[in-house]
Amino acid sequence: MNKLIWKKDITAEIYTWKSALWLLLTAIIYSVTCYLLLTNKELSLLDQTEMLWLLAKIIIGASLLVAIIDASSILTVEFEQETMEDLLISPLSVKDLIIGKFLTVMTVWALMYAVAVPYVLVSSAGSGLGPAFLAYIALYGTLMVGGFTLFVLGLSFLYRSFKNTLTTSLVFYLAVGIPALFSATLKANPFGSIISVANPLDAVFSSLDNILVDYHTALTANATYLASVAGFVVVAVVFLAVSVKVFDRHGIVKE
Amino acid sequence: MTENIIIDIKDASKSYGDRAAVRGLSLSVAKGEFFGFLGPNGAGKTTTIRMLTGILSPDAGSITVAGKLVSDKLHRAGKIGVLSESKGLYEWMTGKEFLSFFAGLYGIAEADEAAEKLLAEVGLKDRADSLVGSYSRGMKQRLKLARALVNEPDILFLDEPTLGLDPQGQDSIQKLLKRLNEKGVTVFYSSHLLHEVSRLCTRMAVIDKGVLVAEGTLDDLRRRTHKDDLRDIFLSLTGPDAEPE
Ligand SMILES: Nc1ncnc2c1ncn2[C@@H]1O[C@H](COP(=O)(O)OP(=O)(O)OP(=O)(O)O)[C@@H](O)[C@H]1O
Ligand SMILES: [Mg+2]
Repeated sequence: MNKLIWKKDITAEIYTWKSALWLLLTAIIYSVTCYLLLTNKELSLLDQTEMLWLLAKIIIGASLLVAIIDASSILTVEFEQETMEDLLISPLSVKDLIIGKFLTVMTVWALMYAVAVPYVLVSSAGSGLGPAFLAYIALYGTLMVGGFTLFVLGLSFLYRSFKNTLTTSLVFYLAVGIPALFSATLKANPFGSIISVANPLDAVFSSLDNILVDYHTALTANATYLASVAGFVVVAVVFLAVSVKVFDRHGIVKE
Repeated sequence: MTENIIIDIKDASKSYGDRAAVRGLSLSVAKGEFFGFLGPNGAGKTTTIRMLTGILSPDAGSITVAGKLVSDKLHRAGKIGVLSESKGLYEWMTGKEFLSFFAGLYGIAEADEAAEKLLAEVGLKDRADSLVGSYSRGMKQRLKLARALVNEPDILFLDEPTLGLDPQGQDSIQKLLKRLNEKGVTVFYSSHLLHEVSRLCTRMAVIDKGVLVAEGTLDDLRRRTHKDDLRDIFLSLTGPDAEPE
C-alpha cells in the first residue's frame, strides 16, 4: 500500500518539475562551490582536506534544506487539496501513508546524493579520502534527512498547512544550523559545549572534520557523533508518533 | 426490519468546540433501502456522514454500519463507498490514473480495466485521458462518484452527489444509482433538495440544526405538514418558519 503512495508522489514530483528543479539547484550549488574552491586565490590556499570538509558541509546542508522544503508540502498537500478524507476512508492506513511519503523524500535525497558523487570524487582525488567521504555522506545524510523528514511529517499532522509547516521547519533548521557553523567558538564555553553535543548537525560537522581533516575514518572513532545523530532520529520518531496520536484524536476536520 | 438494519445511529451527538453540529440523532436504515437524508445548509448532514464513515467520532452515542461499530475502524473492511464533501481530487492526474490509483488502494487487481469501466459508467469515457484539472465542475462530481464505486460497495454514502450537475447529469447519475440500488446496494443520500430525494428514495429523514425533525415516506411528511408542495413541506419542517413537532 505504501508503494502506491510512493509511486503517486514520485509521479507528482516529476509532473510538477519539483524534484528536477531541486536537483538542478543542488548541482549548481556544488559546481559553484567547487569552482570557487579551485579558482579563488584565498580559498584555493586551503588544504585539500579543509576544502573537502567545506564541500561535505555544503552537501549535507543543501540536501537537508531541499528535503525539508519537499517534506513540508508532501503531506500537507493532501490536507490542502482535500484528498485526505478519501485516503483515510480507503483501506490505506496512516502508517502506510507515512511510509509512502517518507520514502518519497528519501528517494529525492538519494537523487541529490547521486548528483553529489562526481563532485566528491573529483575534489578528493589523490587524497585517498574518496570512499570514506562518500560512505559518511551517505550515512549522515540518510540519518539527518530521515530525522528531519519524520519531524516535518509530524508537524504536518499538527498544522495541516504547508505554510505553517515550512515556516516552523525552517526556523528549526536555522536553530540547528547556525550554531553548528560556530561550533568551535561555542565549545570554548561549558554551556556552549553542551549545546553543541546535543545538536545533531553540529555532531555531523564535527564528525566530518574528524574524518576528512584528521583522517579518523573508522566508525569507532566517530561513535559519539553517531550517537548524537541517532538520538535525534529517535526524538523525531517519538515526535511523529505523538503527532499522529493527536491527529487521530481530532480527526481530519479542523475545528 | 431489525434483522435487516445495516446502518444504525443511536443517540449520536457531535460538537465542534462549543457549537453543536448534531444532537441526539437516532436513525436506522434497512439493507437495500434508498434512504434520503435531507436538511438545509449547516443542518449537520456532512457531520453525520463523516461519523458514519469513521472520519469523525461522535462525542456521545453509537454508530453501527454493517454490524460493526464505526469506532472500531473495522467497518472499512465491509464494503462502503463514499462520495464525500471534500474536493478530493488530484488535478495533475488523468481521470483514468485517478481511478486506478484508488482501485489500487482498495486492492483491486485489474485497476486500469476497473477504471475504464467506471469512467464509461459515469459518462466520462471520452475524457478518460484528460487531466482532472481540466474537467468541469460537473465532470469532477461524476469522477467523485466513480471513485466512490471503485470497490463495488454494498453501502453508498453520498453527500450531495448532484452538486453542480446539469439536469442531464443529475438524471444519468440518478439512473445509475437506481440501477445500483436495484442490484441490492444500500444508498444513504444526503441532499437539500426534497424533489430530488422524493423521486429516488423510499424513505427519508429530515434534519435541522443537528436535530431530527421528521422521518418517513413522502406521504408521511405530507400528512405531518398538511402541505402538498415539496418546497412548502421542506420549508415548514426546517428553517426559521419550522413548526415544532
Ligand atoms: N470544521 C468545522 N469546524 C467548526 N464547525 C463546523 C465544522 N464543520 C461544520 N461545522 C458546523 O457544524 C454545523 C453542521 O455542519 P455540516 O457541514 O454538517 O452541515 P451540512 O448539513 O452538511 O451543510 P451543507 O448543506 O451546507 O453542506 C454547522 O453549524 C457548521 O457551522
Ligand atoms: Mg454538507
